[in-house]
Amino acid sequence: MILKAIDNFLGRGDAAVTVPPLDGALRPNRALDEAAARHRLDGVDCLTVHGGRLLAAAGDTLLTLDAAGRWQHVLQVDDRITCIEGPAIALANGAILIDGRRHRVEGGCITAMAITETALYVACGSARHRPDEWQLDLLQRGATGSLWQIDLATGRAARLAAGLAWPSGLAIDGKGRPVVAEAWKHRLVCIDPAEPARPRVLYGDLPGYPGRLSRSGDHYWLAIFAPRSQLVEFVLRETAYVRRMIAEVPQPYWIAPKLRSGRSFYEPLQGGGVKHLGLLKPWAPSLSTGLCVRLDAAFQPVSSLHSRADGRTHGITSVVAHGGTVFAAARGDDVVVALPEA
Amino acid sequence: MSLSDTVAYWRYRVVPDHLLGELLTKRWIDNVIPAVILIAVVATFGALIPDFFSAGSIGNLLRQWGEFSLLVLALMIVMVAGGIDLSVGSTFALGNIVALALLNVAGWPVGAVVAATLGCGAAVGLINGLLVGYLRLRAFLTTLVTLIIVRAVVDMLLLKYSVAIAAAFVDSDIWFFFGEGSVAGLPFSVVVTAVVAIAAHLILSRSRIGWHVLATGGSRRSAHNVGIPVRRVICLTYVVSGTLAALAGVLFASRLGGAGADTGIGLEVAALTAAVLGGNSLGGGRGSAAKAIIGSITVMIMVNSLVRLGVTSGANSLLLGLVLLGAVAIDVRWLKNRHKVLSKVYVSPVFAALPPAPGTDAGSPYALNDRLRGVELIGLGEIDGPEDVILDDDDHIYAGNRTGDIIRFLAPDYRRWEVYAHVGGRPLGMAFDRDGNLLCCIGGMGLYRITPDRRIEKLTDETNRSWFSIVDDSRLRLADDLDIAPDGRVFFSEATIRYEMHEWPVDCLEARGNGRIVCYDPATASTRTVLKNLMFPNGICMTHDGQSFLFAETWGCRVSRYYFAGPKSGSVETVIADLPGYPDNINRASDGTYWLALVGMRTPSLDLALKMPGFRKRMARRIAPDEWLYPNINSGCVVRFDDRGTILDVLWDQGGENHPMITSMREHRGHLYIGGLLNNRIGRLKLPDSDPDWTGQRAYWGRS
Repeated sequence: MILKAIDNFLGRGDAAVTVPPLDGALRPNRALDEAAARHRLDGVDCLTVHGGRLLAAAGDTLLTLDAAGRWQHVLQVDDRITCIEGPAIALANGAILIDGRRHRVEGGCITAMAITETALYVACGSARHRPDEWQLDLLQRGATGSLWQIDLATGRAARLAAGLAWPSGLAIDGKGRPVVAEAWKHRLVCIDPAEPARPRVLYGDLPGYPGRLSRSGDHYWLAIFAPRSQLVEFVLRETAYVRRMIAEVPQPYWIAPKLRSGRSFYEPLQGGGVKHLGLLKPWAPSLSTGLCVRLDAAFQPVSSLHSRADGRTHGITSVVAHGGTVFAAARGDDVVVALPEA
Repeated sequence: MSLSDTVAYWRYRVVPDHLLGELLTKRWIDNVIPAVILIAVVATFGALIPDFFSAGSIGNLLRQWGEFSLLVLALMIVMVAGGIDLSVGSTFALGNIVALALLNVAGWPVGAVVAATLGCGAAVGLINGLLVGYLRLRAFLTTLVTLIIVRAVVDMLLLKYSVAIAAAFVDSDIWFFFGEGSVAGLPFSVVVTAVVAIAAHLILSRSRIGWHVLATGGSRRSAHNVGIPVRRVICLTYVVSGTLAALAGVLFASRLGGAGADTGIGLEVAALTAAVLGGNSLGGGRGSAAKAIIGSITVMIMVNSLVRLGVTSGANSLLLGLVLLGAVAIDVRWLKNRHKVLSKVYVSPVFAALPPAPGTDAGSPYALNDRLRGVELIGLGEIDGPEDVILDDDDHIYAGNRTGDIIRFLAPDYRRWEVYAHVGGRPLGMAFDRDGNLLCCIGGMGLYRITPDRRIEKLTDETNRSWFSIVDDSRLRLADDLDIAPDGRVFFSEATIRYEMHEWPVDCLEARGNGRIVCYDPATASTRTVLKNLMFPNGICMTHDGQSFLFAETWGCRVSRYYFAGPKSGSVETVIADLPGYPDNINRASDGTYWLALVGMRTPSLDLALKMPGFRKRMARRIAPDEWLYPNINSGCVVRFDDRGTILDVLWDQGGENHPMITSMREHRGHLYIGGLLNNRIGRLKLPDSDPDWTGQRAYWGRS
């Protein structure tokens, strides 16, 4: 308590607002903005590959991309789709549809799923908020997410872990264990169903908030849906300010990570984001960017695709590889970009 | 206002946080720790020793102190130049024996004795000075050797003359006056010391040679590079030091009249302790007579009181050594950490609640549009930061740039441009006077005038100093915009007195009201402040009645009117209280109304932060300036209003494609010319409904 007060006064320990730099495998580039193919799709959120084709969820509609690069309608459901994975479709009302069967997990707020031969793993972001209230959950430093396992044969759901800080991505590692992207703790953790009480951190202190994971051969793709920034880290520690901001400031103008920022002059502006000589600098601090990370089999970063502060492919919520091409869904800019998987 | 807001309001209104930072910027703040130690020492021994404050006790102490502090002053002068003189104790002893020998044995007259003794001390100092200054030997070792040699000489002289000195009898009133006389109740030695101390203070702080000494001590290499004769300066400090030590020896000789083997032994350590304890830095460059005086009083009291308390002499030396150690430690830590503390406490935000911002949706007078889309661009990519633009009678455009030039774009097509004048600094607001001179506020410099034949003349760079400000606020740091009254007086704004031009975001973070409006009167060539404590006063524009001007306060998001003449003279009226953005320059429009540039827009998140000063203070400490919350100056607009504050017109560039940040606009012959502090173009917009012949020159001065 006293130590915490000293930390808070001096800005040390938990009160330090350091953010890891983008370096090594995460060195910035413009790959997402320079992608040759950009397929516009309003409200695109989640991508998956099923039945040999790329599926995209936008609102309550499931679409696929045809050879000519046009979106074709596949399916419409009765509620907003929050997540798709293979044959599974999760809805905002908490239902999960698999090949015509309906499953359900407690709490709803399904942010990510992963499927194996026998089981479906489901991540629930929060017990208190809906998926589109993720900023509120972050600002309140929520840690009420959970991980569920549904037996595909019996349909029985079991909770593997709770108290997760907005689990927002799921993948199955080489040994069949689920790996969770714990967004508000900026890390990937492996939760062994045999001993779920002892999660193992695979990749910690990410420079952004990790979202959905997808597997491609022996490696993985991770979508980082928003960057961390010193200002947000600082604001998160200012509980009085956060309380008043939530109460008094309209949600689009919060100081919080975003899928897309800089569209309105009512949004907060940071010093480096001031336009000089008519230009926004690419290195400007931003509440939104685009970032996909390619991970190896041990979930360590290998390379990355970026859209920087001045880019036009922000808020990557999902990235999948299909047929030698990487597809990244930029929810912030309502576009799916495709580029060769190097 | 909610209860917490009310508490915050009063907390930041009553407690002047910014004064702590300003105190720490003062050079004399170095004296605080020594002064506190002095007070503690006086209090301690005053309580321990019964008749500590009695007249006899103090008189006795004072007489000894006079001699001692001369030695400390001597050492201080050498230390300030970056050296050290350990031989002061020996030179003191030499002065003592030489004076006595010349007087008692040789029988010289008193005047000659004093002169010869001082010359003797100066000679010792000169040897030190030649060795350390010109031959560049190590000061510590050299003066240590001098200490030993001079001590040996003293011992030899003692052996030869001590009996003769003791036997002789001197009959000179003047001589005894040195040791026992008083001037206005003060012992003679104290008077001498006071005179020397005052002279030393004046020389060090006010004279060329004093500045040379400080510069040499501060950075020998830099002093050499700027042409200071470093070797001579160092040599001179040793000569002065030797002379003062000998002077102390003369006073001592007169007071006691005897030569002993222990005279002056260990004095160098006591003097060094006093000098360092007073705050004179061992590294050089920082020191003053006041510090030497404070230190010498402290050490004198300590040493004498310990003797009177019956502490043995060994323990006395031990204590002195420990005090020296502590003083050195404080010296080092203070030097190292002062600027860190300063940087932490200087920024001191206050509570600032802005009125609710009017919206920008349809139906609001500020409703969004794209009327600035149609601007023609002048000088795209060729001008760096035209904060203000102005046009002359021949339609040429003048604009300042970031590198301190005033650029002239030539009519009629503005494709060609030239550097009209290189003024330096950061040219900001401009105006033409009655005679066609271009007056310009230059950030970092002041108010300047460029005559039609391109002579650059300074009008003013300082104003009257406020009575109760800690920092010297007479110098102009950030003259921003100006306008000229019909009687020729120039009113200009100074945005902030606490920060430099490039630090304006910090001033926004503080939101205190650090700015002022200053009047320059060419009739008397005098400058005085007319309005203070304004929140980043920026644009200034004369109204049409000739008695008042409008001014914009950027962080206050308001436009006010100040009357400098007429029945309301001296009063301020608010014209627009609640702008949705941050106002910059104001200029006249052709129909008798006014143009106003909004440099940026208010954001709800910053408006909330303005009500939470602690949040802003921590933000300034914790995160890098590039990450700070700024006012949103990536979008702005141009507003037209009348003198009742009614918004008549608004021109937007949505998305900020050409004019993300608008700092000024100027109407001229049916067009509006738009500038931006961080932009690389001047915009020119046709105003369909305005008078195509109207120019600012004609509106102000009746010329065409």
